Amino acid sequence: MADSMFHQPVMGRRAFVGGTLAASSMAFLAACGKKGGDASGSESGSKLNFYINNPVCIDPYNVQEDQGTQVEYQLFDALTSYDAEKGEIVPLACESFESNDDATEFTFKIKKAKFHNGDDVTSKSFKLGWERLVNTKSAVATEYGPSEVSYHLSMVEGYDDLLAGNATELSGVTCPDDETLVVKLASAYADFPFVASHPALAPVPECAESDVKSFYLAPVGNGPFMMDGKWEDGQEINVKKFDDYYGDKAKIDGIHFQVIKDMETAYKEFQAGNLDVCDVPVAQIDAAKKDRGVSKDGYTMGDGERMLLGAEPSTYYLTCNTTAEPFNNADLRRGISLAINREAICKTIFKGTRTPADGIVPPGIDGYKEGAWEFCAYDVDKANEYLDKVAPAGANGDRGISVTLSYNQDGGHKEIMESIIGDLAKVGVTAVSDTPEWSALLEQYQNFNYQFGRLGWIADYPIMDNFLYPLFHSDSLGGDNRSGYSNPEFDAKVDEARTIVDDEERVAKMQEADAMVAADCPVIPIMFYTHAVAGSDRIKHLYVDPQKHADLGTAELA
Amino acid sequence: MGKYIVKRVLQFIPVFLGVTLILFALQNIVPGDPIKLIGGDKALSPEVELQLRVRYHLVQTDEDGNAILDENGDPVQTSLVDRYLYYMNGLLHGDLGNSYQRKLPVTEIFAQKYPYTVKLAACAIVLEAIMGIGAGIISAVKRYSFWDILVTLTTSILVAVPAFWLGMLLQLFFGVILKDATGGAISMPISGAGGSSSQYQDWMHYVLPTITLASVSTAYAARIMRSQLLDVMNQDYIRTAKAKGLSNRAIIVKHALKNALIPVVTYIGVDFGGMLSGAILTETVFNWPGIGYEVYRAISMRDWPIVMGGVTLIVVVVMVINLLVDISYAFLDPRIRLGGPSDKA
Repeated sequence: MADSMFHQPVMGRRAFVGGTLAASSMAFLAACGKKGGDASGSESGSKLNFYINNPVCIDPYNVQEDQGTQVEYQLFDALTSYDAEKGEIVPLACESFESNDDATEFTFKIKKAKFHNGDDVTSKSFKLGWERLVNTKSAVATEYGPSEVSYHLSMVEGYDDLLAGNATELSGVTCPDDETLVVKLASAYADFPFVASHPALAPVPECAESDVKSFYLAPVGNGPFMMDGKWEDGQEINVKKFDDYYGDKAKIDGIHFQVIKDMETAYKEFQAGNLDVCDVPVAQIDAAKKDRGVSKDGYTMGDGERMLLGAEPSTYYLTCNTTAEPFNNADLRRGISLAINREAICKTIFKGTRTPADGIVPPGIDGYKEGAWEFCAYDVDKANEYLDKVAPAGANGDRGISVTLSYNQDGGHKEIMESIIGDLAKVGVTAVSDTPEWSALLEQYQNFNYQFGRLGWIADYPIMDNFLYPLFHSDSLGGDNRSGYSNPEFDAKVDEARTIVDDEERVAKMQEADAMVAADCPVIPIMFYTHAVAGSDRIKHLYVDPQKHADLGTAELA
Repeated sequence: MGKYIVKRVLQFIPVFLGVTLILFALQNIVPGDPIKLIGGDKALSPEVELQLRVRYHLVQTDEDGNAILDENGDPVQTSLVDRYLYYMNGLLHGDLGNSYQRKLPVTEIFAQKYPYTVKLAACAIVLEAIMGIGAGIISAVKRYSFWDILVTLTTSILVAVPAFWLGMLLQLFFGVILKDATGGAISMPISGAGGSSSQYQDWMHYVLPTITLASVSTAYAARIMRSQLLDVMNQDYIRTAKAKGLSNRAIIVKHALKNALIPVVTYIGVDFGGMLSGAILTETVFNWPGIGYEVYRAISMRDWPIVMGGVTLIVVVVMVINLLVDISYAFLDPRIRLGGPSDKA
C-alpha cells in the first residue's frame, strides 16, 4: 500500500542536526543584518529619535493636528510663543508687540533672522505666509486645495474678501518696513497675540509659492532645525540643526521623527532602545512610571524623571443636544452631570493619568478656576434632586427616562461610556448606546440628529476664549457649537471680554461668561487630558509644553 | 491558448466596470460626509467646505468654476453618474484624483507605497510556496513519522494563531527580549521597511513581516499539499509506476507531484492576489508602508479617491493573477485545455 510504502522511522541524527540548524539560522540572520557594529538602539550620535504618527501636513499652510505641528514647530518660529511656566504670551520671532487701545490693531517688530535657504525673514515673509493660508488662488491652494486652518485669521480685516476670491491680498496686514508688521482686525480681539503663536501663522520664504511641491514635502522655515531630506510619507522625517538660527542654537545635531502608525509598535521600538521619546500606551503606564521615573512638573525630563504626565489644554466631554427633547431640559443635563463618577473613570480606565473635569476650561489656562462648574461634582443625592424635577423615581427607582448616548467605539471610548451608562442606571436613568462610526457620528452631531454624545476639544491657543467662543457662542452654531447652545447674554459677555486689553480684566470677564454657561450646562465635561510621554536614558533634558510641543531646540542628550 | 487569454482579458472590462460602479453607488449609501470629516473634531468654515466640494467635483460648477446654487442657496450636488464618468475619464488619462485627507495625488501615494506591498507579498509567497509545499511533501511522504507529526502540529497552531498576535510575539522576542539578552548582538528590526536611519540592512526589515504574513497561508498550503499528495499516491497509475520498478523519488517527482500541485497552486495564486491587495494587520503591526493600511484608513475616513484607486488597482491585479493561475494549469496538467474544443484542433 502507498501508505506503508513511504513509512519511515522516527527522528534520527539527520533530523536532529536539521532541527538545530533551522533554530540557529534565525539567530545567524539576526546577527549578520546590522549596518555597522552599533547595536545599542538609539545611540546615533547627537540625533534624537522621536515617535510621531503620520502627519496630515508639515507645511504651515495646512498644519493642524499634533503630529504635523510637532515637526513644523521645530522648523518654524511664529511671531509669539506661550510661556507655560510664566503663563503669558512672549515674543518669539518678533522683538516686541503692542496693541492699540481697543484691541483692533497690533504692531509686531520682527527680529532679524534667516530662513534655512539663506533668505532674510522680514515682515513680508509673515504677510506671504498668512496670505497663502487664506488666498484660495495661491499656488499652494491651487495645487493642494484650500487651507483648512485659514480660520485662524478670520478676525483679520480683509479675510472674507480674500477667501471669497474678491481680493488678492489680506488688506488688514501691512508691512510699513521690513521690521514692522501691522495687523488690523475686523473686530476687537485682545487675545490676538495668542493666535499669532500658532505654527500655521509662521513666515515663509518666496520659494513656498514658487516651488510648491518641494516646499510641501521639505518646508524651508526660520526655526532651530531645517529639513534633512524630504518627508518620507509613512516612514520618516529627518531634520538637522540650523547653524544660522537667530536664537540659541540647538544642542543636538538633529531629530529623526520615526513615523509609526500603531502606538503599541512604537512603544516596542522604545523598549528596544530604538526611540528616545515615545507616547506610552495606557496599559504600559504603570510600568513606565516605575521604570522611567515620573517628572515632578509633568513637562520636564531629566535624570531619574523621564515620564511626563503633564496636563494638556483639552477636555473630554459629553455634548447635549439642547435644541430638542429631552436635553432641552437643563435639569436633566444637570442631574446627569452630577450622577457621573468622573474620579472612577480616571482611576480605573486611565490609571490616574487623566483628571476629572471640574469645568470646560482645563488647568493651565489663565482663568481656570477649581470647581468652576458646580454640576461637575459627583453628588448622587443632588443628582436625584434635579432628576426628580424631570421625572420622579418610581418604586423600583426607575424614572422612565430613556436617553440615547452616541459615541464611536474605537479609541477606548466604549469603556468610558459604559461606566457612564452604569452611573446613570444608579439614578434611574436608562441610557441606550448608539455606536455609529466616527464619520457617521460627526454627521449626526452636525445635523443635531442626536440626544447626547461624546466629543473632545483641544485648544488651538491656551486661552479661555478658545473654549468658550467656539463651543458656546451663537456665531459658532453650525460649526463647533454642537450643543446648539444660544444665550445672547453669554454672547455679549464674551464679545465684551474680547475687547478688553488688560489681561486680568479680560480673564475676569471670561470667567463671568464661563459661570453663565456652567449654570446652563449645555455640555457635560468628563475629564481633562494629560500626556503620557516617556524618554530614554539618553535624554538629559527635554521640555514638552502643555500643548505637547517638544522644545527640541533646548533638548540635551547625555 | 492565445484566444483564451484574449477572451479572459476582455472579460476584465465588465468585471472592472461592475466593481467600480457598485463601489461608486456605495459611496452614496454609506453614512458620513467625506468633506466634513476632513475637519475632524473641528468644523470647517462654510466657505472652505464649499471650495473643497468644488475642488473634488462633488458639486456642480459654472464656467468660471464657481459652485451652482439652488433656490435655497445650497450647492447643487453632482450626480453619481457624472462623478463616475469624471472618474473614468481621469482613469483613462492616468489620473485617479487627489486624496481628500492627504491632498496628494492618489497615483503619487500608490507609486510610493505599492512597491512595498509587492515586495512583501513576493517574499511571503516565496516563503509560503517553499515552506508550504516542502512541508506538505515531507509530511505526506513520511506519513506518521516525527516530521509528519511536527508539520501537522505546527500547521494546526499556525492556523489557530492570529497573524497580528504572532507578529507582536516575534517583535517582542527578536526585537526586545533577544536584543536585551545579547546586548544588541542578535536582534531583528521591529518595524518599518528600512531606510537611511535604520541600524539594520534593508532586507532585515522583511524577515519578521514576511514570516507573519505567510504564516497562516503556509500552514494551509502544507495541509492541502499533504492531503493532495496522499490522495494521488493512492491512485492506480502510481501503483503501476511502482510495479514498473521506479524509485520512490522518481514516482513522486515525475508522477505524483505535478498532479497534486494543482489545488496548491490555485490556493497560493489566490493568496498572492490577496497579499497584493495589501495586508492590513501585518502592515499595521510592523508599520509597513504598503497600501493595505492606506486603503483601510481611507475607508474609515471616507477618502473615496484612495478607496477607488485602491480598488481599481486591486481588481486589475487580482484578475491578472487569476489568469496566470489558470494558465499555469495547462503546464501542470497537459490534459487541461484552456481554450476549449477549438484549441484541440
